[in-house]
Amino acid sequence: MQKQIARFIINGRPYEVAIEPRMTLLELLRDELGLTGTKYSCGAGECGACTVLVEGKPVLSCLTLAIRVREKNILTIEGLAKGTDLHPIQKAFIEHGAIQCGFCTPGMILTAKALLDENPNPTKEEVKEYLAGNLCRCTGYVKIIEAVLAAAKAIREGK
Amino acid sequence: MTVVTRNLKPFEYFEPKTIAEATQFLSTHGAKAKVLAGGVDLIFRMRRRQIQPEYIVSLQSIPGLDYIRKDGENLKIGALTNLRTIELSPIIREDYSILAEAIHTIASIQVKNMGTAVGNLCIATPASDVAPPLFALGAKLRLIGLSGERIVPIEEFYLNVGQTILQPDEIVAEILIPNSSAKVRGAFLKLVRTATDIAKVNVAVTLTIEDNICRDAKVAVGSVAPTVFRAKKAEGILIGEKLKPEVVEEAAEAAAEEAKPITDLRSTAEYRREMVKVLVRRAIGKAQERGN
Repeated sequence: MQKQIARFIINGRPYEVAIEPRMTLLELLRDELGLTGTKYSCGAGECGACTVLVEGKPVLSCLTLAIRVREKNILTIEGLAKGTDLHPIQKAFIEHGAIQCGFCTPGMILTAKALLDENPNPTKEEVKEYLAGNLCRCTGYVKIIEAVLAAAKAIREGK
Repeated sequence: MTVVTRNLKPFEYFEPKTIAEATQFLSTHGAKAKVLAGGVDLIFRMRRRQIQPEYIVSLQSIPGLDYIRKDGENLKIGALTNLRTIELSPIIREDYSILAEAIHTIASIQVKNMGTAVGNLCIATPASDVAPPLFALGAKLRLIGLSGERIVPIEEFYLNVGQTILQPDEIVAEILIPNSSAKVRGAFLKLVRTATDIAKVNVAVTLTIEDNICRDAKVAVGSVAPTVFRAKKAEGILIGEKLKPEVVEEAAEAAAEEAKPITDLRSTAEYRREMVKVLVRRAIGKAQERGN
């Protein structure tokens, strides 16, 4: 199958990549660009580990053809911190022990970011509901939910 | 256990700019081509090698397919309108709340950002959470093919699990919900194992009640037959009656009899049938309580 040059805007930076139509966004990120923060887990849309933000909305990169997000703004976990200055959600995950093995963390943090962009002051229930598509097999979710609520507070207070 | 492969088999990708181009392409390539809207189901099944299309026809470059708007007769939802947009739409929350409530139960925000309502209908899963409220709201679908278009009631759209009346050259261009269904009393209930799992049973009900008499009733049931279906016997029991508990119970039992459930890893057929009764009874009660 013939490759074609496609342009992507990933973490604010333009990339031109020769892609086949069958390449998923996940493969583009991990295999072509080396952005391995985005994780491959179930490959079936069940777990949320491959979540990235496309135009600010969480989507599953394992079920998205790269060719469909040409010219779109894509945010991966690598694009969240400003240099060594971590995003408040990242800080809160560390402070609250919301990371154990870390495999779900990039997807979890990006989904949480989308939540807090939409709703800066969510209830605990709203956090649970919004994160329902991101599975974690370590933490039991308690610390993740605490971290997201703490991050929401920190962002509201401009910290 | 089905193996989920990482790589997709090669295919040719086509991005038509008009519906006419899309139907032309579909008519030429028939079953070798698949339509891509949100991709949640299509790419998933391609990964599983359940389908291996030679051609993918993406609708995303056809302008004007992503909308929710009202005209003199219908509320219209375009083929590319995603589930999250519908769930959050003020007019749908206000006037067709059972649709928003049903989509709300589809738990993964990622799936709702990607998946479209029309795509959900087209895959023809009996466990759709989108179809039952649309059945209960009396929705129709506008199908466009090479030789023209037709409008069909949603209950005539389905043939069997995964099968619809859609011809190889046709696409579903939009969902039409009649304005007469706006603010109808309704309820949607669903029984699931976990937040992100598909329904064991789901039920959508709408009722028109005047002077304490039920003038119209639509009872739609999902996950307990090869397709979502309207429980017409149950509806017949309700219409023309005061909705006293014994009438509701009789209708709920009739709906359970109309179901053709299977046993699978989620539930036994017997349990599903019993739960149709319970959910229909509760949904009628919930719809009655709503004061529109």
